[in-house]
Amino acid sequence: MITDTVRPHRSLWGDAFIRLRRNRLAVTGGVIILLIALTTIIYPFFSRYDFASQDLNAILQSPSMKHFLGTDELGRDVFTRLIYGARTSLSVGIFTQLIVLGIGLPLGAISGAAGGRADNLIMRFVDVIYAFPDLLLIILLRAILGGSIYMIFLAIGLVSWVNVARLVRGQTLALKQRDFVTAARVFGGFGSYITTRHLLPNSLGPVIVAVTFNIPRAIFAEAALAYIGIGVKPPTPSWGAMIRDGNNVIFAAPHLVLFPAIAIGILMLSFTFLGDGLRDALDPRLRR
Amino acid sequence: MTKYILHRIFWLIVVLLVVSFITFSLMHLVPGGPWDKEKTLAPQVVEALNKKYGLDKPFFVQFGNYLVNLLHGDLGVSYSRQDRSVTSILLTGLPKTATLGAIAFFLAIIIGIPFGMAAALKQNSAIDYISVLFSTIFASIPGFVLGILLIIIFSVTLHWLPTGGWGGIRQIIMPAFALATLPAAFIARITRASTLEVIRQDYIRTAQAMGLQQRVILVRHILRNSLIPVVTVAGPELAFLISGSFIIENLFSIPGIGRLFVNGVFARDYGLIMGSILFYAFAVASINLVVDLLYAVIDPRIRFD
Amino acid sequence: MVKKILTLFFSLVIIASMVVLPACSSSTSSTPQVLRVNIAGEPAQIDPNRASWSTERTVIMQVFEGLLGFNQDLSLRAIGATEIPTVANKGISADGKTYTFKLNSKVTWSDGKKVTAKDYAYSIKRLFDPALAAEYTSFYFDIVGGQAYYSATDAAAAAKAQLRDAVGVKAIDDTTLEIKLSAPHPTFLQLMALWPVYPIREDIVTQFGDKWTEPPNYIGNGPFLLKEWMHEDHLTFVKNPDYWGTKPKLDQVVLNMISDANALFAAYQNNEVDIAGVPAGTEKKVMADAVLGKEVLRYAELVTFAFQFNVKVAPFNNVNLRKALNAAIDRDAFINNVRGGVGKAAYSWIPPGMPGYDASLGADYHFNVTKAKEFLTAAGYADGSKVPELRLQYADTGTNPTIAQFVQNQLKVNLGINVSIEPMERKAFTQAVNAEKYTWAWYGWGADYPDPDNWLPQLFGTGAGNNHTAYSNPAFDALCAQASNELDNTKRLKLWADAQKMVVDDAPVLFMQYRERFLLVKPNIQGLKYTGMDGDVAGDMFFPNVSMK
Repeated sequence: MITDTVRPHRSLWGDAFIRLRRNRLAVTGGVIILLIALTTIIYPFFSRYDFASQDLNAILQSPSMKHFLGTDELGRDVFTRLIYGARTSLSVGIFTQLIVLGIGLPLGAISGAAGGRADNLIMRFVDVIYAFPDLLLIILLRAILGGSIYMIFLAIGLVSWVNVARLVRGQTLALKQRDFVTAARVFGGFGSYITTRHLLPNSLGPVIVAVTFNIPRAIFAEAALAYIGIGVKPPTPSWGAMIRDGNNVIFAAPHLVLFPAIAIGILMLSFTFLGDGLRDALDPRLRR
Repeated sequence: MTKYILHRIFWLIVVLLVVSFITFSLMHLVPGGPWDKEKTLAPQVVEALNKKYGLDKPFFVQFGNYLVNLLHGDLGVSYSRQDRSVTSILLTGLPKTATLGAIAFFLAIIIGIPFGMAAALKQNSAIDYISVLFSTIFASIPGFVLGILLIIIFSVTLHWLPTGGWGGIRQIIMPAFALATLPAAFIARITRASTLEVIRQDYIRTAQAMGLQQRVILVRHILRNSLIPVVTVAGPELAFLISGSFIIENLFSIPGIGRLFVNGVFARDYGLIMGSILFYAFAVASINLVVDLLYAVIDPRIRFD
Repeated sequence: MVKKILTLFFSLVIIASMVVLPACSSSTSSTPQVLRVNIAGEPAQIDPNRASWSTERTVIMQVFEGLLGFNQDLSLRAIGATEIPTVANKGISADGKTYTFKLNSKVTWSDGKKVTAKDYAYSIKRLFDPALAAEYTSFYFDIVGGQAYYSATDAAAAAKAQLRDAVGVKAIDDTTLEIKLSAPHPTFLQLMALWPVYPIREDIVTQFGDKWTEPPNYIGNGPFLLKEWMHEDHLTFVKNPDYWGTKPKLDQVVLNMISDANALFAAYQNNEVDIAGVPAGTEKKVMADAVLGKEVLRYAELVTFAFQFNVKVAPFNNVNLRKALNAAIDRDAFINNVRGGVGKAAYSWIPPGMPGYDASLGADYHFNVTKAKEFLTAAGYADGSKVPELRLQYADTGTNPTIAQFVQNQLKVNLGINVSIEPMERKAFTQAVNAEKYTWAWYGWGADYPDPDNWLPQLFGTGAGNNHTAYSNPAFDALCAQASNELDNTKRLKLWADAQKMVVDDAPVLFMQYRERFLLVKPNIQGLKYTGMDGDVAGDMFFPNVSMK
């Protein structure tokens, strides 16, 4: 039968998922992220220490049997705070990227694909956002909305989508001229179909890298904000704030900076592998 | 092309106007003003100060005055710097920040692009993994931590380099390096991703099949075609580096303009805030213009309709 | 290709390290005696009339001197004047309203001209100039005509000139200055020792306008000259060779502007500065260090920190609740464990080292959970859970977050009260406090001059400028009014003591700690005379005394 020699039809995403599964590094990355997420949910039930309980007799201790990763300047257990902090930091990292992708992808794609006046207007809007005095906006948002974590997502997300928009636009501009787009047009495809089905998936490579970098960058934006005095409401831990507070006593207790930094590194590596795998999975040329 | 550049310069001015309006508004909307101090000032002092600096006028009059002065090159005075003109403050600090930024950018490029390409060309080899490892490490350490670690190693322990300040090559090495690592890591990864896309293209395979030397393929085809995303990313990085990083300039005590915006916001020093933002907006918009022009140079198929 | 790029890269690294290594000379000071210290950042105003910040004082005190100054024990001494005016030497009139200063004719400006009474008169009148909008002027409102002139922002030029002439300061001759007050002011002499009334050269200000504060125009009468000001970077002072008094032993003083605490600490360890603070939280480790532990200098500042309540807002309008909170905080644990012992627990307002300090006050507020619970019951709450959630605001900078979280935890653990802490941006916080839109806020006060009248009426008097607690006690106000006019010093201090007792009993604030400076000083620095009134740098009131081995 002829059907034996014809490959079963798979959609772009279905195919991508199957290929992703085969990529061991990517799977490892994804598993680590899931594990971290699960731990943040489950650990609170088993934890020996509360993230806010202070033991004033155990200030700035190095890792020990009693405190697995040591204590901070108010005698709180670092390991517990690291786990709780994962929740905050993962949220900051992921939700800001959702905002970034939600605004940046479409704007960039439209800008690149449509060209002309739309391109000009969108890109000038992007220029304005690049130069935006985000610190002022954050202070204002904070005065209005208080110190909630959502305000920080909003503030960081609203000003960092520009990178992705410009990347997508750049890719789209280049791809627009390519043969496969001309072919698609010849076959009767138009505007938005070409954009979503052809241009976007092919632009994803650099976008994925940008997103993987943006996640720790968002966590650091949160730390940088804390460094200059606008952070998450204590005593809720976040990795960024832990780094900021640890930085104050880096000469006395370097472990307070080291552990959150390692945590961020692991998270970022995981996202990198996952992201690379995703990009490879989406690449039609690697279809097997 | 000239028409396009003129068109863009017109829009640059529009962007500057919009940014200055937004900044001016936000500045006056945030709670607290320049005269809100811990040792409360008497109301008559506040009144006198407002009058002296024209802050008692209605909002749009103030903004209008600001624009008029701007056209004459007068950016106002700084409240937190004994009434020195903002222009002179910016001009004194700019060369230092720009030099530091340029050096950091240069470092980021000459480290990032080669490593990124090498990683892509030899995907999944040792060099690929090392570059992933290093780029992750540098991206996981925030600037102020990396900076202080450098200071601890090279100044406190080894006594090789001064802890900061401005004056010579020895003062600039650490801040430049601390500034360059994150952009270098990012550029390396983008280059890698982009190069990977390119080398899988058919025309590369065709060139290889036709017997072109690897080096020629690299330079003439791969490099050029993978540069678009790299340039897209490098542009804003350069703008950011030229405008100065608050964190690095604060840590290494660099008398540049990087701290002016943040310190200006905290002191509600309106002149400094506006001056710094305008400079940054100008830098970003101009660099994005150059990037767009470069797109057309790199890939002649790109046209701006 | 790849290999070539990598080789190039690594050879660049090697070349770079060769640049670095040979030039690693240490930057210790050699034969010229150069003291290198650090101030918090670029000074905003070094015009004596307009300055207000400790950083600015450090600069001004090297280049200028006033009629009077302070000794190390904070008693007054005569500098520009030949003697301190008293009733006995006719320097102060019997009714206490006229002060006559006899000037020391040897005092000169750094360009050789003699300092005359006209220079002082010019400076004091300029202090009241509404166009200048100086910040410390209100301290001198007792001078006849001062407030009227200062408030005349909208007056025409002619009217302003008239008001200026009406100010009660007159240069009788080159060496006699007369000042008339509208009411006797017992601490007026202390005010005359402060920087806003340092002499200023009228011709220099007229000639250079705003640029008079840039070297070489910045002419002063003090022991040092401002040689160089690299903005945002550093200030360099050199010895004034024509100084009329005992010339400084130092040749140069360099004021660096390292704002980051870690960088400053590193600079000290790398021998780039001679006096430095340490990052908060590292005090214990520093004291335990073999080398650094021997270089520590600690002394009390005249600064008190407290949490001020907005006593108009429930539940802080309940005095027993405020007392309960005061008694529920283990200040000693905080100071000894978190701050490595730096600082002193405060149970009253006026700090040790100031006249009026009373260690016996506030006995009720020593950490005692039982007593705290008693106050809580007296306040009408059966236990902590019945207390509505308290909101604590603070400026999200420096060590404030740590202190806030400490207090939050103490109240939860000791009394079961929930506290929600609200970090705010600096200026937003200041504005909220000044407008009394807050509920409970972290607050500090430092002495402008060492007397209770700088500590009590301004902060706790009804409607006073710096009273943001909305505390209002007519009995307290009456005591303050009496004490402000009482010329007999013993009686006066007794009145202030009673006033302070009232404040402590009413607890409009949660007293927290008296601050202490914790510094490292290089062992080769000698003769450092530090006081509780120092500016940014320890001993900056007496740099001429310092020498280096």
